[in-house]
Amino acid sequence: MATTTPLTQTDRERSALERREIDASCRVPVLYFATSAAFWLLVGTVLGIIASIKLHSPYFLTGSPELTFGRVRMAHLQAVGVGWSAMMVMAAAIWLMCRLSRVALIYPTLLVFAGTMWNIGMIADVVGILSGDAQSVEWLDAPSYVPPFFITGVGIVSAWTVATFRRRRELHVYVTQWYILAAVFWFPWLYTVAVLMIFWMPATGVIQPVVNWWFGHNYLGLWLTPIAVGTTYYIIPKVIGRPVHSYYLSIIGFWSLALFYSWAGMHHLIGGPIPAWLATASTVGSMMMFIPVIAVAINHHMTMLGSFQRLKYSPALRFTVFGAISYTAVSFQGSIEALKDFSEVAHFTHYTVAHAHLGMYGFFTMTMFGLFYYMVPRLTGREWASPTLIRVHFWCDAIGITIYFVSLSIGGWWQGRMLNNPNIPMPNIIEYLLRFLFARSLAGGLIGLGHLAFALLLVANLMGWGRQRSGGPTYFVEPAPNAGDVQG
Amino acid sequence: MDRGMVIFVGALLTFSSSWLGLILYPYWQMQNEQPYAKTPGDDLYPRPLGGAALAGVKVYQANGCLYCHTQQVRSAKFGNWWEDGQMKTGADIRRGWGTRRTVSRDYIYDRPTMLGTMRTGPDLANVGTRYAEAWHHPHLLNPRAINGWSTMPSFAFLYTREKVVGGQKSDKALKLGREWTVNPGYRWRPTDAEWAAILARRVSTLPDVSQAATPNPFNLTTAAGKAELLAFWLTTDEEDYQVIPTPEAESLVAYLLELRKAETPLPEVKE
Ligand code: HEC
Repeated sequence: MATTTPLTQTDRERSALERREIDASCRVPVLYFATSAAFWLLVGTVLGIIASIKLHSPYFLTGSPELTFGRVRMAHLQAVGVGWSAMMVMAAAIWLMCRLSRVALIYPTLLVFAGTMWNIGMIADVVGILSGDAQSVEWLDAPSYVPPFFITGVGIVSAWTVATFRRRRELHVYVTQWYILAAVFWFPWLYTVAVLMIFWMPATGVIQPVVNWWFGHNYLGLWLTPIAVGTTYYIIPKVIGRPVHSYYLSIIGFWSLALFYSWAGMHHLIGGPIPAWLATASTVGSMMMFIPVIAVAINHHMTMLGSFQRLKYSPALRFTVFGAISYTAVSFQGSIEALKDFSEVAHFTHYTVAHAHLGMYGFFTMTMFGLFYYMVPRLTGREWASPTLIRVHFWCDAIGITIYFVSLSIGGWWQGRMLNNPNIPMPNIIEYLLRFLFARSLAGGLIGLGHLAFALLLVANLMGWGRQRSGGPTYFVEPAPNAGDVQG
Repeated sequence: MDRGMVIFVGALLTFSSSWLGLILYPYWQMQNEQPYAKTPGDDLYPRPLGGAALAGVKVYQANGCLYCHTQQVRSAKFGNWWEDGQMKTGADIRRGWGTRRTVSRDYIYDRPTMLGTMRTGPDLANVGTRYAEAWHHPHLLNPRAINGWSTMPSFAFLYTREKVVGGQKSDKALKLGREWTVNPGYRWRPTDAEWAAILARRVSTLPDVSQAATPNPFNLTTAAGKAELLAFWLTTDEEDYQVIPTPEAESLVAYLLELRKAETPLPEVKE
């Protein structure tokens, strides 16, 4: 990234040509992963909205077993958590690894095969859950016939990412590559161990939930987070045309995440029938998470310093920075939530749901949208057709997730206070929550609207309806002439 | 060492640490936990589920009860609230969800162990001690038949509605007012026209029914009297149709009745 000697015109042209070749080699598999991801996002959004409405209006779509709340809720989590998120993570891993290693992708067909495995797994997953094969193990609800597809798919992607790295022509290993390499190694291990110890050779009793939360938490922390943080480390400097503020901070951030995050999962079981030291160990791990989060936050902020006006122009940057800010917020909140006194209230309530969506949506999904807006035009050679639609997408999502987070945080907090007071009967708690659940459905509708705009843009781009990508990218507004070399 | 190797070894070591500490060590510690008998020869607790209850676990899993119900009672020291200027703790037990907290031994036969993470409804770890079969079926058919304020989904698809043949209802038929059984899963009311037709058709028998059942017979010459009769009639059973649990519903309820995790005293539960 950081080049000290000034680049000549031929240098620039040569490297632009090289990037185009790399992008051409990635086009088919990466677009396949990314559009599949977007498809599952839409499926998941619809399922999420249905589930949300059912929580305050139990007669909504009553009658069929397929659409009972529990099944829709599980299918929603699988569609967004495993369909959208994992496929998007894999798209990002492949593309960023090729770009940063400065090598073209070889045998792209193999990756298309891997993506197809994942898609087959997802179809079986969602259809299976709706027709009654769900497991009721949070994050691992996929029916028993699904994991082999996922393991095959991600196994190939992991191997290919590592292989690409080993063929690298760029000597400097950028921090994004660190994150990607670690994530593609962690996830297959994590997933296989979890499936093994919960389903194939079930461990006794409460060890299952221990494994379950070790998995559930690390799925976010060691699979989605590293790749999303890595993406931020790539997009921000690229768009504003400045290197990352501090190399050392990025290394501290990486290693402390690796060390502490994996210890943090057990706070989901605070107060539960597990040895108390397990939850305590995780509380310590969660507190230590301040280190990587602050390191990353300072680094991103210092990199952005002086370039904030570019948020006005660049969609990629605006989504990415929204994601980065949410990352800091959700991580701080997560550390505090792991404290015993806090957790005693927030546990078993919608407060946790709000927190999870700030992470999965405000941070992860928004960051991935940033990547979408940056990456897809470079792969298709087309610019985005309509800045207005991008604006609709951004504001619907940003406002939607804010309403979502605020309403469920407040409602969930008081739900927890009331549940902890046996003098308050259940009906009062349920009645009190209705207004917040209703607000959540509104927020979900808004987010759904944003996704519709996003889907339109994506389809238009794939159909070749945008401008040829020759000049600059599609901005919200054209930057002032002296705004500098803005990309993205 | 190659950069890739550094990352690989580092990622391996950091991750292994949590795997060893959070998974393998507790595994080794708890894997062989045994059921308990106060004195040798006593009944063991817990016992593995069998028969219908075991099949019921699958129904519970498939329909995601877990996403609204926990199965863990927390200790008398957990959580707090203020009462008469004093801080008190232990809401779960005070709510009657169990007589003690649950511990790891209570779950040794659970596959999967469904502790749950959300309390939209009450905790179910000990629900087997609270209700009988006759309560569960109408509740599952439509929770609002029991608790008008409930937001629990109806599980009417676990029941069938069929015509009574031979004038004799099945033993399993739900005893529940027709407003809940005519259209299972919903709350039914006849339209004005339908009600007029019903009244006209059965004008000879309906008043008898109502007069036998109440000390003050409805005055059917007034609109108010007719409305009262309608309200009453809706709470009576249908004559020629019955709603019957499917085997799935029966096994689910068998499972719920077996949920008695927070009752039997265990030596490790000292508060
Ligand atoms: C959308 C959330 C939701 C789902 C899903 C759900 N429940 Fe409930 N459940 C509730 C609520 C709310 C109550 C309290 C009101 C009531 O009694 O209906 C409740 C109450 C209960 C009770 C009575 C508990 C008591 O102590 O009074 C039982 C038993 C029960 N549910 C069983 C089930 C079973 C079995 C399933 C799955 C087939 C299930 N529930 C699915 C929300 C849910």
